[in-house]
Amino acid sequence: MRRRYPLSKVWAWVFLSVAGLITVFPFLWMLSASVMQPHEIFRPGVNLVSEQPTLANYATALTKAPLLRFLGNGVIVTVAIAVLQLAVIVPAGYAFARLRFRGHRFLFLLVLAALAVPAYVRAIPNFLALSSWGLINTYPALVLPFIGSAFGVFLMRQFFRQLPGELIDAARLDGCNTGQLIWHVLLPLTRPALAAFAVFSVVSHWNDFFWPLVVIRTTRMYTPPAGIAFFASADGGENWGVIMAAGVIVITPLVLFFLLARRQFVASLAQSAVKG
Amino acid sequence: MVQGLTQQETIGASASRRTPRLRWLGPYLLLLPAFAFIAVFVFWPVIYSVYLSLQDWRLGFGSSRFVGVRNYVRLFSAPDFLNALRVTVGYTLVTSCGSIVLGLALALAIQHVRRLGSAWQALFFLPVASTMAAMAVVFRFMFDTHIGVINAVLTRIGLDRVDWLNGDLTAFAAVVVVGIWSSAGYAMVLFLAGLTTIPENLHEAAALDGASSWQQLRFITLPLLTPTTIFVVVILTLRSLESFDNVKVLTDGGPLGATQVLSHLLYIEGFRYFNTGYASALATVFFVMLLVVAIVQMRAERWVHYE
Repeated sequence: MRRRYPLSKVWAWVFLSVAGLITVFPFLWMLSASVMQPHEIFRPGVNLVSEQPTLANYATALTKAPLLRFLGNGVIVTVAIAVLQLAVIVPAGYAFARLRFRGHRFLFLLVLAALAVPAYVRAIPNFLALSSWGLINTYPALVLPFIGSAFGVFLMRQFFRQLPGELIDAARLDGCNTGQLIWHVLLPLTRPALAAFAVFSVVSHWNDFFWPLVVIRTTRMYTPPAGIAFFASADGGENWGVIMAAGVIVITPLVLFFLLARRQFVASLAQSAVKG
Repeated sequence: MVQGLTQQETIGASASRRTPRLRWLGPYLLLLPAFAFIAVFVFWPVIYSVYLSLQDWRLGFGSSRFVGVRNYVRLFSAPDFLNALRVTVGYTLVTSCGSIVLGLALALAIQHVRRLGSAWQALFFLPVASTMAAMAVVFRFMFDTHIGVINAVLTRIGLDRVDWLNGDLTAFAAVVVVGIWSSAGYAMVLFLAGLTTIPENLHEAAALDGASSWQQLRFITLPLLTPTTIFVVVILTLRSLESFDNVKVLTDGGPLGATQVLSHLLYIEGFRYFNTGYASALATVFFVMLLVVAIVQMRAERWVHYE
């Protein structure tokens, strides 16, 4: 039988290895520069490995910028967003998947329309609304605009539709009301789906750079991306070792989280891909 | 006695009337929280944004004044907007094409080697999940003229230093490279999901009929992958159109607007100069561009669904 792939496996390995090296290089470079002495960074030539590794950059980074505060802000904001999103998208997704009511089609079209509205178009009115409510530079300003996730409603509808209808009928016959049905029957069954959405939500909002720049005024309220970018530009490019150390501190929690929750994250992306 | 019975009947009647009424309301109550948030933070902003785009208003400078389509006229005669339009289209084309070709090649290679599939996936997906703003800071360091590793490699192999982030074309190239670095893994994951839907026995049959491996790729894999490809094209086009982080951190739109994409121009006009009306007009035009991409997608999907 003939081979299925044009090039031999060796070439595929070579390609993947080279591409993989380029992909991880910035991470390695950040890590290696974060333990370098200043004179090593400024020495001409390609210096990848420090001869006298030091953790001084990390100590300096932690004292010069409120990095732990950035991380804490990131946790507060992303957890609040994910929890509140689930609280509103689960009932809505269930209604669209399982209930019949007037205006079903129209309301679902509205959800699809909301899906098409990019963050930049909402930015100015959202900013004006939040500032008229006196919420600029607060956690609610970072959380409120993202609770009504059209993507989440859409995803939950897909998941609820896949559940067998007999199960719901049986629960109904046993006298469950809608609340009990969602809480005792559907939620346990959809836990993987909820986890997938939560991971997706946490990763995308943790990484969001644009919105914190818009609504946050003081350094102490920044989430990690805005915090590290502010720190890097305030420094003026003199202490790259310290900036890289700050980068490592800011990026490590999410990278670990991603590696642990990778399956859920990729699953939620693939799900959206297969379903269109 | 009779009275009691009537009362009981009334109670029963009101209870049984209450249940259907609740049942009728039920779906809407379930939808209400999500729709309340979507209405306030998504739909109202779109409408208000169009209204604002017809006003002359700088935030913090007195009241607004209705000016009709003047903001749009100004927009399409402003060199910086036309420049941003050009930069955005160029950036989007190069970045999405690069990411898609690379993502497809990675997906095919991973399927080919068959070993360590999920490890390769994790490796190439890492840039997608990692904080772009932080990694863009690392790239700024790598592109640095004097101490950056890229120039160090160039001088090592006997080439001249390049002043990456201060030249028009090189700054654009740097932003594109970072864009592709952060998106290729995204395309790869979607292509891998699509590849698993192609039945293995098609390849076996083709091989038995004497199809070469290039022919299998050309006449089986790529055609059957078309629905996935269209989806990937749209997702990556939208993703590239909305790029902001790499531009903000690497170049801040410079030098002299060479990397000024629409999202960044909107940020500058809306939140640095607070030209609220003008920036709202910009947002509206940007929205229309994104909608056109979405509509083209829907058309293309209907056209290609033959599997």
